[in-house]
Amino acid sequence: MAEFIDEDAFTKKMLVLGIGNAWRGDDAVGLLAAQALRARKLPGVTVMEASAVDPSLIALWQGYERLVLIDAVVSGAAPGSVHCFDLSQRPLPTDLFSCSTHSFDLAAVIELARTLRQLPPQVWLFGVEAHELSSGQPVSAAVRMGLVHCIDRIVESLQI
Amino acid sequence: MSTLTTKTVRVEALARVEGEGAFYVKVKEGKVVDAQLHIYEPPRFFEAFLRGRSYAEAPDITARICGICPVAYQMSAVHAMEAIFGVKVEGALRELRRLLYCGEWIESHALHLFMLHAPDFLGYADIIQMAADHPDLVMQALRIKKAGNDIVALLGGREIHPINVRVGGFYRIPKRREWDRIVEELKWARDAMFELVKWTGQLPFPDFEQPYEFVALRHPDEYPFNEGRLVSNRGLDIPIAAFEEFMIEEHLPHSTSLHARIKDRGAYFVGPLARYNLNFDRLSPLAQEAARAAGLGPTCYNPFQSIIVRGVETLYAIDEALRILETYPEPDAPYVPYAVRAGVGHGCTEAPRGILYHRYVLDDNGLIVSARITPPTAQNQATIEADLRAFVEPRVHLPLNELTWQCEQAIRNYDPCISCSTHFLRLQVEAL
Repeated sequence: MAEFIDEDAFTKKMLVLGIGNAWRGDDAVGLLAAQALRARKLPGVTVMEASAVDPSLIALWQGYERLVLIDAVVSGAAPGSVHCFDLSQRPLPTDLFSCSTHSFDLAAVIELARTLRQLPPQVWLFGVEAHELSSGQPVSAAVRMGLVHCIDRIVESLQI
Repeated sequence: MSTLTTKTVRVEALARVEGEGAFYVKVKEGKVVDAQLHIYEPPRFFEAFLRGRSYAEAPDITARICGICPVAYQMSAVHAMEAIFGVKVEGALRELRRLLYCGEWIESHALHLFMLHAPDFLGYADIIQMAADHPDLVMQALRIKKAGNDIVALLGGREIHPINVRVGGFYRIPKRREWDRIVEELKWARDAMFELVKWTGQLPFPDFEQPYEFVALRHPDEYPFNEGRLVSNRGLDIPIAAFEEFMIEEHLPHSTSLHARIKDRGAYFVGPLARYNLNFDRLSPLAQEAARAAGLGPTCYNPFQSIIVRGVETLYAIDEALRILETYPEPDAPYVPYAVRAGVGHGCTEAPRGILYHRYVLDDNGLIVSARITPPTAQNQATIEADLRAFVEPRVHLPLNELTWQCEQAIRNYDPCISCSTHFLRLQVEAL
């Protein structure tokens, strides 16, 4: 049976959304991961960056089958540690996001989208444990290492 | 959602706030003897950042102060610089600046009105709970907000922290056809918002009015965004350059934050309610009609009804954006040329939360010698505290959690920067 290839559906297959603030040390890690993944030009993967979190993000992931979020987290683990959460069924443990500089909580946006049935069927969040979050600081060495590890894990576990 | 508190509070601490976003009340024999609100004051940080930087960087640097109202910071900055250079941005470029401001008002007001303030009125702990019972309403709100985001993204270059604004105008002007989809969305949003303004009019409002002095810009023939004189309902009528002469910031014994007052008078009130009371006659006929349909007259002294006014202003901004886009003026050049020179310049524009004042001193090379930024929330702080004193006293018998809830709602009337957090308050009632 011949299949009609809907190009839009194909290109909308997966969204990688890196979140962070480029001016606040390790909080930039989500943006850096997105930039690195964009450079790989992965087929069927759209990459976006967001420097603030509010409910407008919900519109960004409309129509995607898979959503990969990348952000800095603070859980007390060693800086650079990579966390992975499957959010398809369960909410994000929000206490990990106390470092966020965003004006609207990422966990809240995800749960709002879930409530409104506006969440893609598959959703993951990759978090890199942050350490240095002061304004104007560079990304710390530990988090730079974590970034490489995070990108590998995303590519590997999602079989991109 | 209690974890939200922790999150936002820690963020504020990172940005150099002493303590936390908190409200403290002391009650003695049934009377409130002390009420303090600690607020987030990032602009004071930026005043130091700006010294030694080029005038041309001010719009982009100050835009980073707030992710919700970057356009306001850009507009106040460019107007101040243009005042120094003696350049006047008029015609199509001026219209496009109004359009950009419309986008910011739409997105900021829709976020606050529906996502943060409405749950208070309906008895929901947050927007997620509200969305479970009112999904269509929340979906409409998100779509309206997105129309505002789309304006800012196209004309501002990107959604958050727009980068297309420069002294004299813009870097790039979008083509007419790039607006087609947004115009269609705005037409839908105009109809939807009219109905939603009426919906806000049906919310339950506490019986609470105070004798406020409202301060806003007033322009000869338009609802104010970028230009006008500073006026009040008690006779203030000054050019923006006289701001610092009349608006005094002072330390008060009961607070660690600076409190803004009108010289020789007292606290004042900026923001949607102030604009509405001072400029009702400048609203579009449709916005006036919606206000009346929601039960508002030309004046309103109940701060809880600011939720209606925010709705009216959202509708106005949609209506005004459509007016501008229907005769979309493509300017001949994206900006007006100018010559850099030394001087002092003032900018005061209407951020979604109220007047945002900037003053810069430039040297001959256009480098910033000093900067002063007074954001709307700082100006409202004394009024918010006064509201809380008046509001708590007759309600001091309420259970602490209920009183906390109502106080949060009262503070959110002002859409202060701290209101991003769903539950930012630690209400301490200390009974003596």
